[in-house]
Amino acid sequence: MTTMQPSAIRTITSKMFRRRTARVGGAIILAVLVLILLGPFVTPYAPTASSGAADLPPSYSHPFGTDFQGHDVLSQVIFGAYPSMIVGVLAAVGAVATGTTIGIMAGYYRRMEALLTGTADVVLTFPPLPLMVLLASLYPATTQLIIVVLILVLWPVSARSIRSQVLSLKERPYVESGRISGMGNLEILRRVIFPEIAPIATAYFVLTVAAAIVLVTALQFLGIGNPDVVSWGSILYWAQQFAFYHGDWWWILAPGLMITLVAMAFALLGFSVEEVMDPRLRASAS
Amino acid sequence: MDFVKRRILTSIAVFFVAINLDFILPRLVPGNAAEIFAGGTKLPSNAVNLLEIRFGLNQPLYVQYYLFFKGIFTNWPPYFGVSFNYYPMTVSNLIAQRLPWTILLIASSFFLSFYISYLLAAIGSMRRGGKFEFGSLYTSILFWSTPAFWVGMILIWVFAVYLGWLPVFGNIDFNPGSGLAYVASVVFHAVLPVITLTAVVFGQNYFVLRGAAQQALRSDYVLTAKSRGLRERTIAFGYVLRNSLLPVVSLLGYSLASLLSAVVLVESVFGYTGVGDLVVDAIINRDYPVLEGTFFYLTLIVIIGGLIGDFVLLKLDPRLRR
Repeated sequence: MTTMQPSAIRTITSKMFRRRTARVGGAIILAVLVLILLGPFVTPYAPTASSGAADLPPSYSHPFGTDFQGHDVLSQVIFGAYPSMIVGVLAAVGAVATGTTIGIMAGYYRRMEALLTGTADVVLTFPPLPLMVLLASLYPATTQLIIVVLILVLWPVSARSIRSQVLSLKERPYVESGRISGMGNLEILRRVIFPEIAPIATAYFVLTVAAAIVLVTALQFLGIGNPDVVSWGSILYWAQQFAFYHGDWWWILAPGLMITLVAMAFALLGFSVEEVMDPRLRASAS
Repeated sequence: MDFVKRRILTSIAVFFVAINLDFILPRLVPGNAAEIFAGGTKLPSNAVNLLEIRFGLNQPLYVQYYLFFKGIFTNWPPYFGVSFNYYPMTVSNLIAQRLPWTILLIASSFFLSFYISYLLAAIGSMRRGGKFEFGSLYTSILFWSTPAFWVGMILIWVFAVYLGWLPVFGNIDFNPGSGLAYVASVVFHAVLPVITLTAVVFGQNYFVLRGAAQQALRSDYVLTAKSRGLRERTIAFGYVLRNSLLPVVSLLGYSLASLLSAVVLVESVFGYTGVGDLVVDAIINRDYPVLEGTFFYLTLIVIIGGLIGDFVLLKLDPRLRR
């Protein structure tokens, strides 16, 4: 796509993974990927079939216990990983791609600035969850729709900050020298501005994945979409209705911990990219 | 007063976009509007007919648009129609009943989360790079990553079911009594929801405050204050944090928006009958007028909150008046 400077990216990556937080975040994400790929083959129970007695507390054969219908909670958590994460990741890709494009446009072209920042301000004013709920209750809440809605809600955050970065980059002397040496606008954007923006966009991507996963599980928890598809959010949707009554605290614990763990892993990665790029934010203890 | 003018214009624009979305979104759904509005509800058919006439749902779109705006702007409270689920209650009355409860939750958790993040950032700025700063940074990242509804469920489990200290459900007892007993009942029911909301929201404030505080720490006036030998506490609260408030205040609308998202989940988990619980209720019952109405009012809260933030900002930072 572009002539990215591999050396710059490599420096940032290696700097980033020198931080313990980034390594922890990366390791968790890697572990969950392995879980998604291999987990379904090694789980002894099907997530939607009864595996024995109901309401069993955690034990050796059921490390996370069983729910009120005898489903093995560990199997559910493993099978629920994919639907919970894929939507978040795809939505973050879309949101940050949109946000980066719009942010660069708004920062670089004076004429588009008012329109694009105005739109971003408008979108940021809507409380995201009620807006998503309104949309998803009107239309059949397919996975595609949920992804589109998440993109609509999440793009302005990255667009805003990338715009302000571009605004300051634009005034740098090397942009000027590029222009003098006869580069067109598109070429400057592609070869000068974009490589500078790429690491920030990456940081936003990782942070947006975290936000998107939390939002997706919230929708699943509210029963939007199909609550019979096993996901971390839908496990909690059923748990909210039956776990207290049956006394199954283990049923609540595991899926929520997984959501938190994964979202935190992405957040840690995102914050370390940000810190590497912006030394002001560095907490020397980390 | 360019800043004020711009902010007011933006707010009006947002307001109109919200109303139009409210009109357009349900009507983009394929099918007859009347059927969608009343489909799958328990309404008697003569009530559906009445609704059709009242909203002009069988008339061309521009007539519907006119009636929709007339309903909102020529009535007080704005007319969004009648709830299907709580028929024949109007949407606005329904929301008016529940709004005070939601405002109680968001106002308390807003100030609480603000205060907590303020303290954390101030103490952190006194001991840069210490264990305290490390701890508060990662605690806020942890809570920022936790889904609100799950925090709520865990708190219910521990404090209401297991320890039995606090009520499991609802916003008030069946017989709350009067006077002090009434207040106590309200407070007891609000404790867990407010803690949940505060926990998931304070991180955002803290990140912003911390970033701004670190910038302020390297400024000339802090250096001067240090060279004058002022106490660390005076510098942290009087100089650093004071100047770090601006970005937090300017994000007031945005943090209200995320607070309102969380409140939907928290009220639903705690069976707290506020506007957020009403939203969830309306999804389950396909109560479209209520969904439209709640969306309208929630957006209005964010807009007004954002404007208040802007005026506070103006007071704090006279440079904006230029």
